[in-house]
Amino acid sequence: MKKVLASLLAGVMVLSLAACGGSGSGSTTAAAAGTTAAATKAAAAATTAAAAAATTKAAAAATTAAAASSGQKYKIFLISMDQMDQHWVNMDKGCQKAVQELGNVDYKWTAPDVKDDAKQIECINNAVAGGANAILLAANGPDADVAALKDAQSAGVTIVYVDSPANLPAVGTFATDNKAAGKTAGEQLLKALQAAGTNEGKIGIINTNAATTSTVDRESGFRSAFDGSKFTILETQYCEGDAAKAKDIATNYISQGCVGIFGTNEGSTVGTGNAIKEDGSGKVIGVGFDKSDTILGLVKDGSLLCTMAQNPDVMGYDGIKAAVDALTGKNKGDGKTVDTGVTVLDKSKVQ
Amino acid sequence: MEKKTQASPFKRMMAIRGMGQVITAAIGLIILMIAFSILNSSFFGGRNIGNLLRQIAPTLITGIGQSFVLITGNIDLSIGSVVGMSCMLSATMMTKGVDPLAAVIITLICGLAVGIINGELVARFKLPPFIATLGTMTIARGIAQIANNNYNTDSIGEGAGATAFRNFFYYAKILGLYNTIWIAAVIWLVFNFILSRTRTGRHVYAIGSNIDAAKLSGVNIVSTTTFVYLVSAFCSTVVGMIICATSGMGTMDAGNSYEMYAVAASVIGGVSTLGGQGILLGTVMGAAIWGVLQNGLQFAGAPVAIRNIVIGIIVVLSVLMDVILRGRKPHYQPEKADNGPSGEKAK
Amino acid sequence: MGEIIAELSHINKSFPGVKALDDVSFELKAGEVMTLLGENGAGKSTLVKIISGVYTRDSGTMKLFGKEVEDLTPLKAQELGVAIIHQELNLCPHLSVAENIFLGREKRNGIILNSKAMNEEAKKTLESLNIELDPEMTVADLAVSKQQMVEIAKALSIHAKILIMDEPTSSLTSNEIEELFNIIRKLRSQGCGIIYISHRLEELQHIADRVTIMRDGKYITSGNFKDFTMDEIIQNMVGREIKEKFPRVECAVGKKIFEVRNLNAGRMVRDINIELHEGEIVGIAGLMGAGRTETTRAIFGVDPKESGEIYLNGKKVEISCPEDAIKAGIVLAPEDRKKDGLCTKLSIRENISLPNLDIISNKIGVINRKQENEMVEKARKNLSIKMPNGEINADSLSGGNQQKVVVAKWLARNSKVVIFDEPTRGIDVAAKVEIYNLMNELKKSGIGVMFVSSEMPEILGISDRIIVMCDGRITGQLNPKETSQAEILEHATMFEDKLKNSKTA
Repeated sequence: MKKVLASLLAGVMVLSLAACGGSGSGSTTAAAAGTTAAATKAAAAATTAAAAAATTKAAAAATTAAAASSGQKYKIFLISMDQMDQHWVNMDKGCQKAVQELGNVDYKWTAPDVKDDAKQIECINNAVAGGANAILLAANGPDADVAALKDAQSAGVTIVYVDSPANLPAVGTFATDNKAAGKTAGEQLLKALQAAGTNEGKIGIINTNAATTSTVDRESGFRSAFDGSKFTILETQYCEGDAAKAKDIATNYISQGCVGIFGTNEGSTVGTGNAIKEDGSGKVIGVGFDKSDTILGLVKDGSLLCTMAQNPDVMGYDGIKAAVDALTGKNKGDGKTVDTGVTVLDKSKVQ
Repeated sequence: MEKKTQASPFKRMMAIRGMGQVITAAIGLIILMIAFSILNSSFFGGRNIGNLLRQIAPTLITGIGQSFVLITGNIDLSIGSVVGMSCMLSATMMTKGVDPLAAVIITLICGLAVGIINGELVARFKLPPFIATLGTMTIARGIAQIANNNYNTDSIGEGAGATAFRNFFYYAKILGLYNTIWIAAVIWLVFNFILSRTRTGRHVYAIGSNIDAAKLSGVNIVSTTTFVYLVSAFCSTVVGMIICATSGMGTMDAGNSYEMYAVAASVIGGVSTLGGQGILLGTVMGAAIWGVLQNGLQFAGAPVAIRNIVIGIIVVLSVLMDVILRGRKPHYQPEKADNGPSGEKAK
Repeated sequence: MGEIIAELSHINKSFPGVKALDDVSFELKAGEVMTLLGENGAGKSTLVKIISGVYTRDSGTMKLFGKEVEDLTPLKAQELGVAIIHQELNLCPHLSVAENIFLGREKRNGIILNSKAMNEEAKKTLESLNIELDPEMTVADLAVSKQQMVEIAKALSIHAKILIMDEPTSSLTSNEIEELFNIIRKLRSQGCGIIYISHRLEELQHIADRVTIMRDGKYITSGNFKDFTMDEIIQNMVGREIKEKFPRVECAVGKKIFEVRNLNAGRMVRDINIELHEGEIVGIAGLMGAGRTETTRAIFGVDPKESGEIYLNGKKVEISCPEDAIKAGIVLAPEDRKKDGLCTKLSIRENISLPNLDIISNKIGVINRKQENEMVEKARKNLSIKMPNGEINADSLSGGNQQKVVVAKWLARNSKVVIFDEPTRGIDVAAKVEIYNLMNELKKSGIGVMFVSSEMPEILGISDRIIVMCDGRITGQLNPKETSQAEILEHATMFEDKLKNSKTA
């Protein structure tokens, strides 16, 4: 029974892949039809070899084998933390660009509705069950997904980390070196303060929460830029990404006499900019992270000195390329992190 | 009992039902403010007081809405989601070029619709308020998310309309006080008047005190309950627009947990979750204490963990006091009117 | 006495399972006090609730002030001039006296409440009742008797022409009753018609003009109060042929197994002393509100008690919560089966095993399913419970079988004293007999049986000894073989005749 099911499934998958790839390229359809027999034989062989193997495993193996033998489509899933932040939207765009260029990827972007560990694990499991060959993952946290990822890897799925890695070796990580980026932000702020003649005073930091590695790293990088200076950094306040709450916190910082404020992500940065704009005295300098329409506006009108724009599109682009390289066997990857860098967006860079 | 001639104004004020807890909360508030200004001298600076009042406003406004519902013995869990829905709807409309005034009106209508749904579900269909408003809470949050296709909105911009919107709800001042606090004050004046001096207000208390007695005395339960949910929805919608003006954009997460802060503010101020008692002056005290805590703890440089614990303890203590002091049964227990002849019970 | 202001003919009203009013006719004239008499369940409250718009009649005609009335609501009835003071107080405890009096018809200046006017008028109404009360006081802070006066004031302020009073004097002091009767006389002289429901037959002599007697939902008779003797009234109230047979079992009465001494628990349980012997069933009779249920709850440990000792087989037992009672072997089958006796959403098995989990689970609390099922099977056989299996919900059983489940759970742990509170309420005739048989079995096996009942035939038919309670005290111990329903009722209405005593107090 399992044999028949596996063969049927393999056959259906190959046919559907063929159908997808069929739009606009007749050669691929022919090639697909030609390899159906080979695929079914391979599937049958695979299942006979592993009697108790999961159907999905066989299907995945079958498709990979089929794809390998005929250069066909790889199924790659992008799993981000949520689907709301423009950050992920841009990453998705980068992925799509790579997919377009490569032409042999069946790409899907999925994520939970809110940032939630359990839900992200579900997404990973669903992707594996859905026949993924590779998963590009922006892990919520370093440890939460490890078990699910181990399962995925043993089912033959290739893992690439984008934006935030997990504590499990994989092809590699394409992310912002948050510590370095944070340090850059701090250096920018320090430079601007000294240029304005201020060499000491209070600095305030608005972070998201204490659990997200990326923002925590940015904060520690920022603080390192102020080592040895005469500035005091106050106790960090958290806004949970709420821009309105961030504004209140920033306003309070200004009332406490802060001369500089740092926001570690989009919500914090929006709040910081709005507060400085309202203050209007020009005595407070703000730097932030991420770019969104509102943030760019705040940089443009001078409320924010600059913002560290991540390059999520580069993460996505490079991630897809690396995944395909690993799948085709061209380059299995060395597990290292590639810093996709940040661009310092100040007034001069924003039209 | 001797006839009262001209009781002193102080005595008359103390005789108002509910003043006891208000005074207690006021004393607590003063103690907190003194403590925080000792910990940090800039706490009492003019800037901070102005900001503080503005930061209190959203909690006060949603608190007023929740108080209305609590006094009838019900609860509104959808407050936070309606705030988010209102924020997203108004922001999305304005970023797409809709005139801010039109956006405000349309958003108000949508918010009031949620209020009507809550009222009908609870009063006419007799769903437990917890369940009914949990449902509308999820629906409203969903609307907040699809309003701009599951993304936060762009900036509402610097156009004349958008700037007027921002100023009206958040940035402008009148007579030295931010508009936001004026809005809160007007809302408080209007609804306090309704609650304490009109027939509808009286009926709100009656329903929370003994719904059967109210029904038998001819009080319209359905329309009064729907009214309180409309008040709550209205307050949430206004706060949503304030949030939108604050950030200059719409965020799908806006208003998260606001219904709980509104309950906290109400309970600290003497509104009982069991219904039938509390005055809006108490909600003012509750919201003020809440805002002072948030603001003061930041000024005191308290680490976040300590902050959350402190705030949590104060809320738990207030609710505990609520149940112990005000949950004490009145001298007799109103009997539930029974059905059928075997219900001729005299206890 | 004037024209007829309320005329009801051939009124029928049913509730699920009960026919509350069966072809009842009733008439009230202006300027009279009509007292409505009958036992519990006779239909008095139902009748007046129809007149005041709380219930809608199923069939029959109702004319108020000469006009036919169809859909009556409480508000409409108020507007027509019908006011009712319910037996259960209907006040909002958080509101003031004046606010309660004017609830639903508040006086206003435009949209603003005119509290001053309402307070003044409330004060006037209270003064006319000779009550010293500040209209701004919160109702919750008043004593129960004062609260009842507020209810009366509320009804009076409506300026009703038909005033219905359902047990209005139950919480009043004698002075207040005197005042109330003065008011009633005044209203009567002004042309009001007053329907007065009360069990306090001695009081009625001072106030009633005419009387209507009901029984089992039917109209029995009416006439001038003076034309009836007390005996005749009582006879009409209770006289019915005993249709049900009562399986009486004779047993030798053995030693004393259970004793309650000096039990006091609030107003409803005052200085109660009860003895139970092996081989006898003690029936506790009385009217609603006599304190019988409260007594059983005090014994069982549900309600706190001020004083009292309980002895089981001569040894004193400390009972401060139901757990103590159960451990000692004293159990209660409560009055409200569905609310207090069973977990209706749980299965029969779960219900039977619930208080016996300690017997069928091991040291760490894991329940032994096999033992549990055996327990259920044993109960089913011994009590002949009709159930398809033990897994169905308890509320899908018939009343009689539900009652058996309630008892089964206690029998599974070899209880020594079983107290029943209204054991056959809502159960059909055939099933009643089964319950009586069950009680007899318990009696025969040496278990002490005590039961509270409002059905006098049952008390007379099954008990070996009868205790009568009234207003929290035991007013008599009777021998069922020698006594009669009338004598029981006499003891059940032996209230301290407050009016007679007020002169001496």
